[in-house]
Amino acid sequence: MIQDYLILSVILFCIGILGVVSRRNVLIVFMSIELMLNAANLAFIAFSRFHVSMDGHVLAMMVMAVAAAEAALALAVVILLHRHKGKLDTNVFSLLKG
Amino acid sequence: MFAEWLFTGFSILSVLGAIGLVIFRHPMNGAMSLVITMISLAGLYALLSAKLIFAIQLIVYAGAIMSLMVFIIMFLNVQTEDLPEEKNRFLYLFGGAVVLAPVFFFLKKVVTSLPGSEATIVGGGFGGVKEVGLVLFRDWLLPFEIVSILLLVALVGAVLLAGKRRMSQ
Amino acid sequence: MEHTVSYLGLIPLFPLMGALVLGVMHIYSCSRGKIPEKLYAGIACVGPVISFIYALIVFFQLKGMPPESRFLVHDAFTWFSVGDLHITMGFLADPLSSLMLLFVTFIGSLIHIYSIGYMAKDENFGKFFSYMNLFLGSMLILVLGSGPVVMFVGWEGVGLCSYLLISYYSEDTDNVLAGNKAFIVNRIGDLGFLLGMAFLFWAIGAGGFDYLSLRENSHLLTPGIGLVVCLLLFVGACGKSAQIPLFVWLPDAMAGPTPVSALIHAATMVTAGVYMVARFSFIYAHVPIAGTVVAWTGILTALLAAIFGMFQRDIKKILAYSTVSQLGYMFAGVGVAAYSAGIFHVFTHAFFKALLFLGAGAVIYALHHEQDIWKMGGLKDKMPKTYWTMLIGALALAGCPPFAGFFSKDEILFSALATGHTGIWVIGVTVAGITAYYTFRMIFLVFHGTPRDKEAFDHAEEAPGVMTIPLIVLAVGALFAGFLNLPSIFGGNLNVSHWLAPSLVDHHPHVGISVELLAIATSVIAFAIGITIAYRKFGMGAEEPEYTGFAKFGYNKFYIDELYNTVLIKPYKAIGSVIWKSLEPNVTDLPVKLSSWLYQKAGAAFKVFQVGYVRIYAIYMVIGLSIMSLLLSQSLN
Repeated sequence: MIQDYLILSVILFCIGILGVVSRRNVLIVFMSIELMLNAANLAFIAFSRFHVSMDGHVLAMMVMAVAAAEAALALAVVILLHRHKGKLDTNVFSLLKG
Repeated sequence: MFAEWLFTGFSILSVLGAIGLVIFRHPMNGAMSLVITMISLAGLYALLSAKLIFAIQLIVYAGAIMSLMVFIIMFLNVQTEDLPEEKNRFLYLFGGAVVLAPVFFFLKKVVTSLPGSEATIVGGGFGGVKEVGLVLFRDWLLPFEIVSILLLVALVGAVLLAGKRRMSQ
Repeated sequence: MEHTVSYLGLIPLFPLMGALVLGVMHIYSCSRGKIPEKLYAGIACVGPVISFIYALIVFFQLKGMPPESRFLVHDAFTWFSVGDLHITMGFLADPLSSLMLLFVTFIGSLIHIYSIGYMAKDENFGKFFSYMNLFLGSMLILVLGSGPVVMFVGWEGVGLCSYLLISYYSEDTDNVLAGNKAFIVNRIGDLGFLLGMAFLFWAIGAGGFDYLSLRENSHLLTPGIGLVVCLLLFVGACGKSAQIPLFVWLPDAMAGPTPVSALIHAATMVTAGVYMVARFSFIYAHVPIAGTVVAWTGILTALLAAIFGMFQRDIKKILAYSTVSQLGYMFAGVGVAAYSAGIFHVFTHAFFKALLFLGAGAVIYALHHEQDIWKMGGLKDKMPKTYWTMLIGALALAGCPPFAGFFSKDEILFSALATGHTGIWVIGVTVAGITAYYTFRMIFLVFHGTPRDKEAFDHAEEAPGVMTIPLIVLAVGALFAGFLNLPSIFGGNLNVSHWLAPSLVDHHPHVGISVELLAIATSVIAFAIGITIAYRKFGMGAEEPEYTGFAKFGYNKFYIDELYNTVLIKPYKAIGSVIWKSLEPNVTDLPVKLSSWLYQKAGAAFKVFQVGYVRIYAIYMVIGLSIMSLLLSQSLN
């Protein structure tokens, strides 16, 4: 039983990584990160259920709170970037190039 | 038996939603797919007797965060021609999948080797508001307070980032 | 322990503290405005004067003890310990060092007082006195050190201070170069001293490395090692005391202010070499060959420097060569095992040479920094105090009886004759004549005759009291210091020699009174001849002759500087530039350059990965994760 949930969590997590590394749209990248967070949450809840302890629930709530904070900041940054360059392409922001 | 059918259905839906997120070109479509994933995940939480988390998932994630996302997408008024050219999107996705395969198989190997897979029956109070609240405010009080400060900081930061430039312009 | 006295360490400490305080004050005044000169002068003179008082205390305490156990020690602290070797910062006062102590602090104090007048209105007044105090403190460490290691501290200290003070007027490049020359030449000598010390330690250092232990163990020294030690130590003495071949720095050292010259020549620095040889007399006594080498080097230096002195025109250079020449006498004295005679000459020389330098300083001061004797003349009436005191100094230097120089010089020459070193004696008498000649050449040209530079003459006037009083005190010293060691032929009983006897391994030959009379008679005759020639040539006022032939050769110091330049310095520089230009870039720097080249290429290669897109960096991370997973999967089975 628990393995099914965890495998689902792994699948979703991997898809999230895939989204981060292969897409250039800032918003999609951001939503992929949210997906990864959700996958982690699922693992927390599943472990919590099978150990009959509610600490996992608390952690999941923490993650959601952090995700909410992150969403607020990340979207503010996205707005700024869009205003600055007029684009949503991650390749435009290449200031790190040596 | 019924629960297993539900699990299968929600799993398929959530995976499809996730795949949709990484495949669709327009972020609006991606966001909609992600909402499907979120809702299916809420169902899975319910299956795992996490009543409070089920509610929060629906209200905060599927409700608040995703609607904020959709609002931003509409606010920026993203047109299809504004989007980055991603002709090699599928090539990248395929390459990424190949690279990620070892990660996936490793994690799967770890997960399947875990002992104690069968679920036990839990009481009616498990995952309810009162019980989670007791744990939260008894054992996790300090992290809770820290998170509340984090939210405050994030709020101030978001206002500052998104607001200051508007004034200067 | 009855011989331990705690105040011994204080003697060098007072000038050193003075140097520290003055230095801090000078640094303060550089940024925060002027500090009155009187305050500097007061602090500067306190240290030397207190040291002098303590020196007197030490002297009288030693005098109250039985002659064979006359020594005081004070171990301030253990400086360093290596295994069983414990080098202490120890001080030793015995008759030898107490005598040195007395005149070093006395003359040092007088020079300090004189400097207040001479250096007035100098913008670096505080710095000057700080260096002077440091100089004196270093010399006191050198004299008081209880072993060669502590002596070496003072030895290096005076070397450093001489460098600082010679290049004191650092705006002029020549002065800085003169300072450099002094320092570098001294380093050569220091190396000799250091090597000698190392040999000595290796040979007999196991039983303790201070003078008292070394003296007890000196009989263990084999003649071969003893000779090596003596010669190496003598190289050190040559450097510090300006003997052949390392004398070239001393005349150039005239670049410093005149009080500095006086301090270097009379009380500190140059006497250190003689002191050191006398200090190690217990070794030199075992190795007669080394003594002969020392004596011949000394007497040849005396001759050479005296010849140079005949032709110089700079008043300070004349005095400088006379110092080199007198130092030669001292080495001749200690070389023929007449250690007390050598040290006694150091003692009397300190008085009259300080007197002559300070007098020359007064003349230079009066003539607004004119140092050329061919531009002076007739100053006798303008500066009577300076004239009479300098005349006493000159008579003492020339060896006129009964002035101080006569007795000490005569003692050395007599010892040379009595020990059978006839050659040394003959040269010594010749040098005595030459000394009389060039000394009075200087006196006649400066003070007698008619003024050659009318304008400077008109503005000249007697120096202030703060300068003339030290002159008078020193003149009294130059007049009477000789009587302290009156030989028996004049009814004396060699007080100084007897006083020094416990510290030294002295050798008193017993010869007939006729030999002694012969030595005295020849000295007086040589003096008379020298002064007569000088009077004939310069006494009535003379015009500057053209330097030709031998005179030109002598005026240019036999081209010894140029010789050193071509023989030593130029090849050295050539080797240096060969190493610098071909060896260093192609051999030693090669690995360094190669590795930097490698890093550059590697950096260029890795630059490809730095695309600047965050996504790509995420991909790198995932690739890493993937590889890690592969490896971990292997181990999971």
